[in-house]
Amino acid sequence: MTRDRLDRTSTAVPWPRLLAGVDAVQRRVRRAGIHGQLVSLVVVVALFALGTGGRYLAWPNVRVILSLAAIPTIIAVGMHPVVVLGGMDLSVEGVVALCVVFVGLLTRNNMNQNDVGLWIVPVTLGIGGAAGLVSGTCNAKLRIPSFIVTLGMSWVLWGLAVFVSQGQTLALLDTRFHPVVTGSVGGIPNLALLAVALTIAVQVLQDRSQLGRYLYAIGGDEVLARQAGVPVDRVKIIVFTTAGLLYGLSALLLSTRLGGAQAITGNNLLFPAVTAVAVGGVALTGGIGGAKNAALGALIVTALNDGLILMHVNPYAQDAVNGAVLVVAVALTIDRKKLGFIK
Amino acid sequence: MRKLVCWRIANVAAVLSLALLAAVGSPAAAADAPTLAISLRTLSSPYQVMYKTGGEAYAKNVGLPLDVLTTEANSQKGLADIKAEIARTGGNVAFYVDPNDATDAIAIAKTMDDAGVYWASWWSKPADVKVWDYSHWVAHISFDGFAAGEFMARELIKTFKTPGKGNIIALQGRLGDTPNGERWQGLQKVLGENPGVKLVQWESAKWDRTQAYNITRAMLVAHPDVDGVWAANDDMAMGAIQALKEANLAGKVKVVGCDGIPEIFDAIKGGLAAATVFNDGKYQAQLCLALALAAKQGKLNVSSLPHDRRQFEIPAVNVNRDNVEKIVHDYIQNTPNYDLKDLFARWSRAMP
Repeated sequence: MTRDRLDRTSTAVPWPRLLAGVDAVQRRVRRAGIHGQLVSLVVVVALFALGTGGRYLAWPNVRVILSLAAIPTIIAVGMHPVVVLGGMDLSVEGVVALCVVFVGLLTRNNMNQNDVGLWIVPVTLGIGGAAGLVSGTCNAKLRIPSFIVTLGMSWVLWGLAVFVSQGQTLALLDTRFHPVVTGSVGGIPNLALLAVALTIAVQVLQDRSQLGRYLYAIGGDEVLARQAGVPVDRVKIIVFTTAGLLYGLSALLLSTRLGGAQAITGNNLLFPAVTAVAVGGVALTGGIGGAKNAALGALIVTALNDGLILMHVNPYAQDAVNGAVLVVAVALTIDRKKLGFIK
Repeated sequence: MRKLVCWRIANVAAVLSLALLAAVGSPAAAADAPTLAISLRTLSSPYQVMYKTGGEAYAKNVGLPLDVLTTEANSQKGLADIKAEIARTGGNVAFYVDPNDATDAIAIAKTMDDAGVYWASWWSKPADVKVWDYSHWVAHISFDGFAAGEFMARELIKTFKTPGKGNIIALQGRLGDTPNGERWQGLQKVLGENPGVKLVQWESAKWDRTQAYNITRAMLVAHPDVDGVWAANDDMAMGAIQALKEANLAGKVKVVGCDGIPEIFDAIKGGLAAATVFNDGKYQAQLCLALALAAKQGKLNVSSLPHDRRQFEIPAVNVNRDNVEKIVHDYIQNTPNYDLKDLFARWSRAMP
């Protein structure tokens, strides 16, 4: 009788095969290096779903999270390869400030007669890319630590942005981009689709191309990579330029979405981006993590901030939560074997 | 030997001529034409740019040079630049300072007293530091933030479907900033008087437009049925308007802000915002420069001024749909010819 029942159960639900399947998925996720991040995301989502009586997971809120996560994702995807190289890119706020100001001054606006129309896309990406190119060249050729180069770059561009814009806010009158940026396809915000597409593109590059292999070789051990014939300087310059390019794209999206361009649009972008990169599991010691990590990190950080608001967490405590998350994330991902000492 | 003597004579002549040049070019030679100087936070704020515009108009009127220094939110840089300007002008300068941080006012006051430079300040000062304890600190002035927050709230609740009855959400600036606290108190007063109005949630968007947009989008998920948005400044109000647009609520749910940036005037005209309070930065800069200059030129005896004339508030300009066109024409498109003969003409109340 007992045996009979056992037999029937095993035929009704193929446990061993299911378990094998779960195991395979687990192995794949672990190999991809995002298992910790997926667990974090699930924990965050579960906590807030419980805390808000399920409203957190309702489609209107998921839509808001996807839409708000898009720009931090693009910035984090741009920034993380610098971190993979073992460097740090602090230039995002300055690059965005200058690009935003140029978007304001060159498209149809309320201050001057300029109207470059769709040319603003290559122009903005070009300014961002040029800034990255300069940072990368200074870092690789002049051998200046990346965080100093990019910090200096950020202030130079910020000053330039303020000077060029005379501190004014320019209202954007070219409304062609606006529906594209705020619209959605099948309910999913266009910005989120763009962010996902960019993440996949960068991830494929990292996994499949020679550039990707060079990137991780340098991040793993720069001296060894150089001895093995990896064109270290060229890779660094490409990585910084791409980062600048993506910051330029973010600037275009940010200013279009808010319908106004001002230098301070760039403010408050650095901290969420660095947090996203760290939370996503890109080790600050270099060599570990890809675009999928950066994107997941941005999603987790956005989902966290949205949840804190939806759950009415005291605003005085919210910044503290964010700061703590950054430190914990770094503590979990950093490779201490690489560090001789901690400053 | 002769060559050496010639060389010496040439040397002495060179030194003498250099000394002569230095004497002609020294600040002492320009003693009767003082410099005007403004220290502000950043020229990336359209509001603080008005200090510059107003200051330039005033400098032109009185025929004096004007220098504008920016702290870029760095207190150390602010103080160092002020010291450098004093050194450059040989102390022959009159200052308007908007301290980067309240506590900076103490170090600046000591520096100015040591150098004998008259100055006036706006906005930030620790409450327990008194202007009259410093001989060269002419006055400290603020716009009345409490009145502003109150006006904004009153205009907002007028726009509800049932005026005076409904739910609002609010965006504060940086928590701990004095103007934010005062405006917030003004809102609280109106809430206390109108039990039908409920503040369902507030967040801090740190005066920033993008943050205000992000936060408002999240708050609108939690409270899709709000009747109004109170924002402590116009930049955050503009971010909130964009978030309302994406939730198809713009125009139905009105927003109020404070400061009077150009875009909020358009939003008021277009029916997206209900009101703002315009802080007239041009008048602010002119009044402070005029006070400091009057003291420097001996036209104002600082030590004999009563305490309530050295720490005081003046009202800002209330703007709603009825007067927005006139305000834009008079204050934004033009720089009014302010009457600065009576420096205390707009005095509204003493600052404790």
